[in-house]
Amino acid sequence: MFACLYQPPAPDQPAASPLLAAVAQAFSPRYERRCDDAVAIDVSGLARLVGAPRVIGEELRRAATARGARVHVALAATQTTALVVALARPGVTVVDPGGEAEALAPIPIGMLARIAERAGSAPPASAPGGHGAGGTSAAAGMAVFKAWGIRTLGELAALPAADLAARLGSRGLAWQALARGDDIRPLVPEAPEERFESTLELDWPIEGLDPLSFVLTRLLEPLSTRLERRDRGAAVLHVALRLATRRPAEGEPHEVHARRLPLPSPVRDVRTLRTLALLDLESHPPGAPIDAVTVVIDPTPGRVLQHTLFARAVPTPDQLSTLLARLGALMGQDRIGAPATVDSYRPGAVAMEPFATDHDPASRPPTPPRPVLEPAAPVLSFSVRRCRRPVPARVTVEAERPVRVTTDRRGFAGGGVVGCAGPWRTSGYWWAGTSGAGARASDRWNRDDWDVALADGVVYRIFRDRETDGWFIDGIVD
Amino acid sequence: MPLARADLESLLRTRRLDRTLTTTLALPDPADEYAIGPTGVTTLDARLGGGFPRGQLSELVGPRSSGRTSLLLQMLATATARGELVALVDALDMFDVESAAAAGVDLDRLLWIRGHVAASPGLCGDMNQRAMEQAVRALALVLQAGNFGLVAFDAAGAPGEALRRLPFTTWLRLQRMVEGRQTICVLVGDGPMARSSAGLTVRLAARGGKAGRGLDVEVRIVRARARQHEHVCLSLSTTCA
Repeated sequence: MFACLYQPPAPDQPAASPLLAAVAQAFSPRYERRCDDAVAIDVSGLARLVGAPRVIGEELRRAATARGARVHVALAATQTTALVVALARPGVTVVDPGGEAEALAPIPIGMLARIAERAGSAPPASAPGGHGAGGTSAAAGMAVFKAWGIRTLGELAALPAADLAARLGSRGLAWQALARGDDIRPLVPEAPEERFESTLELDWPIEGLDPLSFVLTRLLEPLSTRLERRDRGAAVLHVALRLATRRPAEGEPHEVHARRLPLPSPVRDVRTLRTLALLDLESHPPGAPIDAVTVVIDPTPGRVLQHTLFARAVPTPDQLSTLLARLGALMGQDRIGAPATVDSYRPGAVAMEPFATDHDPASRPPTPPRPVLEPAAPVLSFSVRRCRRPVPARVTVEAERPVRVTTDRRGFAGGGVVGCAGPWRTSGYWWAGTSGAGARASDRWNRDDWDVALADGVVYRIFRDRETDGWFIDGIVD
Repeated sequence: MPLARADLESLLRTRRLDRTLTTTLALPDPADEYAIGPTGVTTLDARLGGGFPRGQLSELVGPRSSGRTSLLLQMLATATARGELVALVDALDMFDVESAAAAGVDLDRLLWIRGHVAASPGLCGDMNQRAMEQAVRALALVLQAGNFGLVAFDAAGAPGEALRRLPFTTWLRLQRMVEGRQTICVLVGDGPMARSSAGLTVRLAARGGKAGRGLDVEVRIVRARARQHEHVCLSLSTTCA
């Protein structure tokens, strides 16, 4: 026996979906939402607890009314019949077993589109149809039925199935099954997402991260087991530390040090999760002793990895996540990542992107073939060591070419120029700094770059700022 | 005398310090890709016996404009082309992304760790020392994580004082970490840093820079820990990308 609750649209009514789900949960764990305004409930077995089907229907309506919703309730032997009747009739309707076709027969054919949408049983749009009017949508199908003179579900149910299939294909048969009240698919109960949370109240407040490590392990181990059982991984790890600062007043909450760690890849390894939490707490320590620890995990579907014997092993996502967290705590999060080129002509423009933790060695992009190297004279590409902050320099210019470079900066030797190449003139963001330009004045550049070889063998990349007429060492050719 | 030497070697082996002995090392098979990582420069690889040894701390040293960075980027490009993940601890934050992209490095496979060491710290020598120690710790973390194909520590241009003040056990400890793994660890600097802990030292020297037309570089291979010391000279020329 199935029950269906339908909440017709009304401006003063609360959102239907969560409300109907709450009503359904109060009666049976086996329920399925049908769009946002209907829910089908398996009420088999409630007869001994609640009573006859009509009593169950009345109880369902009372529960919905108590939550502020006016609903149509229908009970029938099939979920499709219950759904159709709930959509079509207000109040509580009970269809006796065997009376489905009779109950559905007088319902207008126009109801079919609404039913097909909620029944979730419509065949794919690519299903073959007949006569070119093969019903690529419910509306098109209704048009065909109206053209045939069919006005009720009973008339559709009475059509010969073979002829209907010959004209409308499998979609026509599906619509006829709905009109007869047959279930095309079973009820798929919604499993409520399990909450992965664990709390430990401590007898004595703890200080420092060492004792906290043991507490976290104890909390995370059962959570990890539950995650594994549900084939889930942790997407976000929440750690809430209740601080033993002072006794709060009545009704006042305790002070809580809460941290949220989004994980770059789904993880359920206890050691990894504990290490990440501790590393985060190292850089954001609590300000007082801890007397309760709560760990909450936002789950995400687990990953399936297929390793290969023919590719070199790379660090696993877990290893990389831990490594990145450790490096971030040591160097700063903005100092680690993957380098990225910038779509700019500005010399030395650089960007960093988060380093991906999921690398598949088999799916590496094809690398362009390198030129054949001559054994006598191997060729390397030309590389520069870039000074992030250009070093001010004094440059003597003769015949519009630099002839001597000197600088006061320790570690940068100067000297006479024995060879030079340039200038390469670049400029950009010349509009920056003006009102409404959308760019800062510091983004602007206008410079002449030179490569100069000094007498001691060092080759510098230098430039002249054409706005300030100052010279700078931008890098070392190495 | 031979007995005394055997005793000494036995003692070192007991204390797991036998890796400092040059006589206990066997040369890796050049064809074994799990023992050797080619640099991608065919002539150099031929002289190196296939490439840089895995599971060893190697050095790439030379003065400015000697082609250290060019060779390092070539090694990174070759490693990423093999599908390996690589890491660069850039102690002085002087890595140039354009040069790396031009050399063919797959940037998505490069973990770039930017240090805070200053080439000319001025009065902030202590801060610079801490920054150098921090960079070495970052290198140790990457080596501990394992499974990187190539890990480079670029301290070229770092003040000598900052390197000298590192505890002398630093490089031995790092050598221990990389031992037995399939990682090539390369230290890049102005001069030798790891000394006896280094598996292979490649010394580069400029034969004279030609501004705008690349560098003419001389490479000297010093196998500090092989059975025989080799001094091989060859020329590498760099060209503009």
